[in-house]
Amino acid sequence: MAKTDFLTADMTRRQFMKISGKSLAGLTLSASMLSLFGCSQQQVDSGAVATWALPQGLLVVNADLCTGCQRCEINCTLTNDGVCSSYISRVKIQRRLNLDGAGNGLLSGTDNCWVYFPDTCRQCEDPACGNACPQKAITTDSRGIRVVDTDKCIGCGACHDACPWHMPTVNPETGKSSKCIACGACVAGCPSGALSIVDWDSVTSAAQAAYLDL
Amino acid sequence: MAESYGWAGKILRVNLTTGEITTQDDAKYHKYIGGMGMAYRIMYEEAPMDLDPYDEKALVIFGVGPLTGAGVPCSGRMNVTFRSTWSKGNSIVDAHMGGHIGSMLKYAGYDGIVVSGISEKPVYLRIEDGEVSLEDASEIWGKGTFAANKWMVEQNGREFETASIGPAGENLVDYSTLNTSFGNSGGAGLGAAMGNKKLKGLAIRGTGSVKVADPKKVLELSNYMMGNLIGGNNNHNVPAQPQSWAEYSATSGKNRWSGAPGRMWKKAPGGPVDTGEQPYNDINKVALRCFKGYFDFGAPAAEYTVKNGGCSSCPIRCYTEYDVDPLADYDLPTHNSNTCMPVLYGTRVYPDGVHDFKYEGDGTMVINLAWSHAVDDMGLWDNYGNLNRDLQWILRMPREEATKYISEAEYDSLPWKWEKAGDPRWEVELIRRMAYGEGDLSVIAKGTLAMMEKFNLPKSWLDRTDGATNSNLVYNGFPNHHGPAEAWQVGMLYNLVYNRDCMIHEIVCETGSGAPYEVTKKVMEDFFGEGCYDKAKAYTPINENKAKLAAYCVNDKNFHDSATLCNWMWPMTQSPSKERNYHGDLDLQADFMTAVTGETYTQAGLQEDGARITQMLRVMTAISFQQNCGSANLRQEHDAICDWVFDKEPDFKAFEEGTTKLDRADMEKAKDLFYDVFGWDRTTGVPTRETLEKYDLADMADDLEKRGIYAQNTAAAE
Repeated sequence: MAKTDFLTADMTRRQFMKISGKSLAGLTLSASMLSLFGCSQQQVDSGAVATWALPQGLLVVNADLCTGCQRCEINCTLTNDGVCSSYISRVKIQRRLNLDGAGNGLLSGTDNCWVYFPDTCRQCEDPACGNACPQKAITTDSRGIRVVDTDKCIGCGACHDACPWHMPTVNPETGKSSKCIACGACVAGCPSGALSIVDWDSVTSAAQAAYLDL
Repeated sequence: MAESYGWAGKILRVNLTTGEITTQDDAKYHKYIGGMGMAYRIMYEEAPMDLDPYDEKALVIFGVGPLTGAGVPCSGRMNVTFRSTWSKGNSIVDAHMGGHIGSMLKYAGYDGIVVSGISEKPVYLRIEDGEVSLEDASEIWGKGTFAANKWMVEQNGREFETASIGPAGENLVDYSTLNTSFGNSGGAGLGAAMGNKKLKGLAIRGTGSVKVADPKKVLELSNYMMGNLIGGNNNHNVPAQPQSWAEYSATSGKNRWSGAPGRMWKKAPGGPVDTGEQPYNDINKVALRCFKGYFDFGAPAAEYTVKNGGCSSCPIRCYTEYDVDPLADYDLPTHNSNTCMPVLYGTRVYPDGVHDFKYEGDGTMVINLAWSHAVDDMGLWDNYGNLNRDLQWILRMPREEATKYISEAEYDSLPWKWEKAGDPRWEVELIRRMAYGEGDLSVIAKGTLAMMEKFNLPKSWLDRTDGATNSNLVYNGFPNHHGPAEAWQVGMLYNLVYNRDCMIHEIVCETGSGAPYEVTKKVMEDFFGEGCYDKAKAYTPINENKAKLAAYCVNDKNFHDSATLCNWMWPMTQSPSKERNYHGDLDLQADFMTAVTGETYTQAGLQEDGARITQMLRVMTAISFQQNCGSANLRQEHDAICDWVFDKEPDFKAFEEGTTKLDRADMEKAKDLFYDVFGWDRTTGVPTRETLEKYDLADMADDLEKRGIYAQNTAAAE
């Protein structure tokens, strides 16, 4: 995507969907956009900033701010499962803390590495998890969120296997898959501001302002 | 197994001699909370103090509690109980470690691991939920902890949390640790206790959960805590530097709420991160409050800081994660991380001083971070600085004096050119020799008492007033930890209780908070009674409220290491909130216990639970002192205080303004009052039968009776 394409006024959630979960490296953001995202262009250039398109806004993850406390996982599972867990959390940091297989995590190099950050569901337009589900248990709700119908789910794990990032997770205690429903609990409780949600109106206004400045 | 909230409900039992691995329902231990308390009961029942610490039947007990992994802020702790090989009496002792492994143990479904026996060959314990096995560790035996942890993760998968001992533990060096690669460690000789068992480490993955009785309440209490009560590291409740929202900043300009506008993590991959202002009610900035590196080293720390780190569940990130690039010039790792001791005392082994490396004033920091990585890699413990103090004592001697203690050949084999050049390889080489037990000098890592015996140093060596090389408050082999210099008689009293440094932060968190004295005094007196809270260097004679406060601190700390909660952060004594008049909420830990377990807890009840653990500690200490020191008179044998505490600063008398020295007669009265609070015999400091029965520990009273310890009480009184 060309830089100017990204900054056009008709930039929509759909366009952000295309880069959901990817770092914004390579893009030049306007000052107002940087301010909204709470990051610097240097952080964008270094690959520290990634976004996820959610119905209520753009989830911004700033890896430089993540301190690995797992409160996102705690808040996710207490809110959605009524228990406290890491494995079934819909936002995942623990699996990146040590080694994520992509060059991040404490043990990823020859010396300690301090790059680790949370990951979550991209809410893909063409969801591999839903396509793989033999029970058609992953459907799209009125907000555009892919949700698991636990009445239909048989806990086979096809969604986990099919997702390129293995985000849906079968809860071994309930036998049901869990995936992100964009509730925002992780963001609300992040103590370092590594996670934030910017509402779509603000994103669109900032993009339009940047477009007019061009 | 009965369904229970908070507790996983079972413990693992691993016999390294037979290879047998079983589980046990742990409901009967819940009255001891978990962690430390549960381990003390198990140790008492199954591995009496009569055993040699390295006996095949000796136990190493890893313990977490109902709050670990339950989402409670600052609950990512694991307690490990075993026997001391280096402190007087060879009694019961604990290592306390943070990180992510404690909560992972809970997610795997266990409240603890009781390890007995001795393996024939090196093994590590692999836990993946219900699948538990002993795996061959010959590949990593002999390796440093960083390589060992990495190997275990690579072997088992990225979702495993690991911890490893280093060469120090393998070589049964008494000052040894268990380490994660983030720098979390448990000390007190845990490395050797595991090394003796040929247990290299742990690798744990848990896909389960901690059941919580009232998850909404846990979230509500967490938000209440993070938005109203929590401060910075050590719960310091005002920022170090003025912030626009804050009425106060630290009176000295320095405390552990050290993040501030303009204080940057300059080596973040995407450029400097400004820690900025952190209003007390902004939950999303809590993790930027502590900038431990800046607190420790000032501005040079910012040049090397990548980000903050710390333990699972904790919004206060007390670890600074550095990239200390000048170390690359010496072929040393640069990405180092730690908090507290490993990064504070490295320069003490450089009698000729250190120099700057890249930025003005960065010498201390670079040297200390090299120390931190090296001791963590070797799994070497510092005994709260005694390792460094004892090394400093001998290294700063002229050659002719030092060679009275170590051979001339050994002295000359030390790479002194590196010392003189301030080269970090000097300290790394010293640490290596300690970890491998090489040479006479390495006796220092066997413990201060072992060193004194080898070097024929008299008991009075511990009475010296040279604080740089002697901070031993008692004669038991461990140093001052937040003692009378910060907490008057209260600090002295709680330093008497354990068989290692006390690890109690209840008072230093207040005295170091940075809030004006009168503000903190009001909080403390409202909670703990008039006259409990002295002003810095303006102490007053002992009174009942001080003795009660000291006992409260001990019981509270014991609860924390059982629940588990971090004692550097808990309890929530002060608050940063002006609306609350800076008062915290001491009941919050009980409220969390209730919300998590579904059973009703009160703060008063938790004090009783903590006191039960204190009594068990005292009983086992008495038994081991009878066994190993010939007398269970703990007042004489265990609680004796070094002379310097009373004799330092000869220009002052105790209780004059300007000194923290104590008074002998006053301290004896303090002991009387302290023993009274706990129900200990005034002559011997041993818990009375009546006391033990009150705590439902009658079997321990019977044991003391049978061992003749009560008869000794009577004899001593006469």
